Amino acid sequence: MTAPLPLSGRQPKAVRSALHVLEEVVSAGPGVTAKEISESLAMPQATTYRILNLLVAEEYLVRLPDLSGFALGRRAARLALPAAATLTTAARAVVDHMRAQTRWAVHVASFAAEQISLVDPDPDHPAPDAGALARFPYAFALGRLLLAEQADWRALVRDVRPFTARTVTSESELDRTLKAVARDGLARQCGEFREDRGCIAVPIRGPRDGRLVAGIALAGPTARIAEPNEEIIRLLRDHAARLAPLLA
Amino acid sequence: MRDDARLRLRSRSPVEGLERRRLGPLEVFAQSVSGAAPSAAMAATPAIVAVSAGHGTVWSFVIATVLALLVAGCIARFTRRMAASGGLYSLTAKGLTPAAAYASALASLLGYGLLAAGALVGATLYLGALFDVLWGTSGGRVGAAVVMAVIGLGTGVLVLRGARLSARVVLLAESISITLMLIVFSLLLAGGPAAAAAPADATAMPPPGFGGIVAGVLPALAAFIGFEIATSLGTEVRRPFRSVPRAVGLTAAVAGVLYVFAAQVQVFGFSATPGGLAGQAEPVVALAAAKGWGWLPVLLDLGLVMSFVACGLATATALARVLFSLSRDGVAPQAFGRTHRRFRTPHLAVLASVPVTTGVPVVLLAAGVPLPTVLVTVLTLAACGFLLAYLLVCAAAPVFLHRIGELTWPAVAVSAVIVPILLIVLVAFVVTRPLSGALLGGLAVLGAVGYLLLRRRRPEALAGIGVYDETTTADVLFPHRGAA
Repeated sequence: MTAPLPLSGRQPKAVRSALHVLEEVVSAGPGVTAKEISESLAMPQATTYRILNLLVAEEYLVRLPDLSGFALGRRAARLALPAAATLTTAARAVVDHMRAQTRWAVHVASFAAEQISLVDPDPDHPAPDAGALARFPYAFALGRLLLAEQADWRALVRDVRPFTARTVTSESELDRTLKAVARDGLARQCGEFREDRGCIAVPIRGPRDGRLVAGIALAGPTARIAEPNEEIIRLLRDHAARLAPLLA
Repeated sequence: MRDDARLRLRSRSPVEGLERRRLGPLEVFAQSVSGAAPSAAMAATPAIVAVSAGHGTVWSFVIATVLALLVAGCIARFTRRMAASGGLYSLTAKGLTPAAAYASALASLLGYGLLAAGALVGATLYLGALFDVLWGTSGGRVGAAVVMAVIGLGTGVLVLRGARLSARVVLLAESISITLMLIVFSLLLAGGPAAAAAPADATAMPPPGFGGIVAGVLPALAAFIGFEIATSLGTEVRRPFRSVPRAVGLTAAVAGVLYVFAAQVQVFGFSATPGGLAGQAEPVVALAAAKGWGWLPVLLDLGLVMSFVACGLATATALARVLFSLSRDGVAPQAFGRTHRRFRTPHLAVLASVPVTTGVPVVLLAAGVPLPTVLVTVLTLAACGFLLAYLLVCAAAPVFLHRIGELTWPAVAVSAVIVPILLIVLVAFVVTRPLSGALLGGLAVLGAVGYLLLRRRRPEALAGIGVYDETTTADVLFPHRGAA
């Protein structure tokens, strides 16, 4: 299964054509056909078809149910940076109310365009490592919320490596962990990124469509996070529910 | 929401319930290789081809490999653009009429069902031979029936438990099998030609001639059947548009290389024997005996058992997917479209099909039909089913491309070459095997009756035949809404 890639770095023209095709699908809008793309780019048909099939195989584009129209696939969202999101005053008040209830750090992350961005890290605590959170989502409670929502979480995980002795790195174990997250609507990691820190996160879902828009997390000492924490989780869920209409 | 309606996007895939996007490229590749079961064909097919092709046997295999690659190319026109669970019939439906898709579905069911049964018979047969060599007894008819039931049960459980688990077992078994085969054939090659015992009715190998080579293509092409099994796993593969066409194409290429190698070794091995390869019933065993290597058949039998078990698993997996897909089409009973909540497999389709593909061989065995006869008949009939399905999918490819506005001249050229050849091969196959021809004729009549009934009772299901894993609302990124 190691056939050479149809495009290599030595084919700048092909790479350029692929980018033009992507751009054309964006500007023409969903439903544009191969023939239309080939005509408007003045690109040979066979080349256009080959590039389109490649972009579909890589999931940057999708074919619509009529099989002749194209649209941007979800993976294309990852090419763009998510718009810098800030919380509204109303939402910030809810988060601050949660912060007043606990000595632990309370962070809020947005999952727009399938990327994790901290929209409201706790100002009174050390901020989580945003770069690591984006690159190694499987080792964070917030990251696991996002992964658990995917049809195939592997698409969002580039490399899996251990940070501490506790980091879950086996594919099947991660799979089980994420299934549990999806089932319980609760993600937890204890000392998997830093020995002494752990995290609990619950999803914030759009009130109308139930789609995952953000997550709210509690970060604290590993040993304490590992406890059942029923009371504080109930509180966290409560605040997540109040945030839902303000974020979706 | 207006966009969804205009683009005819559904919120859920019509084949929902299967474990979507899980299998890796190697796992799908292994399924396809196992479907083709190259080990068995390496051992048995060259002698059959040699009967007509003589010293040109290797060329028959080269031509058959080219044909298989062309068929793989036609299949790839679809699998690079759509991911299906029903295999070839779902693809055919996008190019030809519902009647053609229905015929392809029946041909696939026949092909996979018979191949699954044949694989079970083959595994039993060679396990018996293995017992015979090692312990001096093959266990008799009762032993064979028990072996069949156990393998059938194991196959059913694995296929039920999930595509991923059975794919891994298949990968392991097939790797061992091919490794054993390569060892066996390399040893034979290194040993040089042997003066093997010629059969009593030995006639000279036919001289190499064009006609003989062409006639040899027939059985050589039949050695490839099952190589397209990856197409029925489209929904369950991680990157289907890349992995499925590659798995099918690479299987054709790998099997082709193995066959050419095996044919060369055997033609060379029997070059000093009167009658040559053509007169041999068990060429590898005869060669080993001539060299005094009594232990070699043990390796061979072990490899064959592994290969047949893997083939049985791969075909049972595909058979259940075809039934599942037909059920979602509204053509097969609705129950077959249900999936197990935890294993994410079409469990009712498995429970309906595996007992049949296991039970029929057991009944035939109990009735006293010799297993080798069952194996040959079943494989011949299966080959006819596969050839028909290949013929239809190759004819459908350019029509499909034209329909979606992506037709190119190579697609037309390939189909223009391969369709008439497959038609000739299919006709020759049926004509030269009168018993199979009669059986197939009967099945064709039954199929036609089923088609007419279906057209009367559920015309809308028939018209919409060919569900596949469509892009859903959740897969599309809308410019004004961001990720849905």
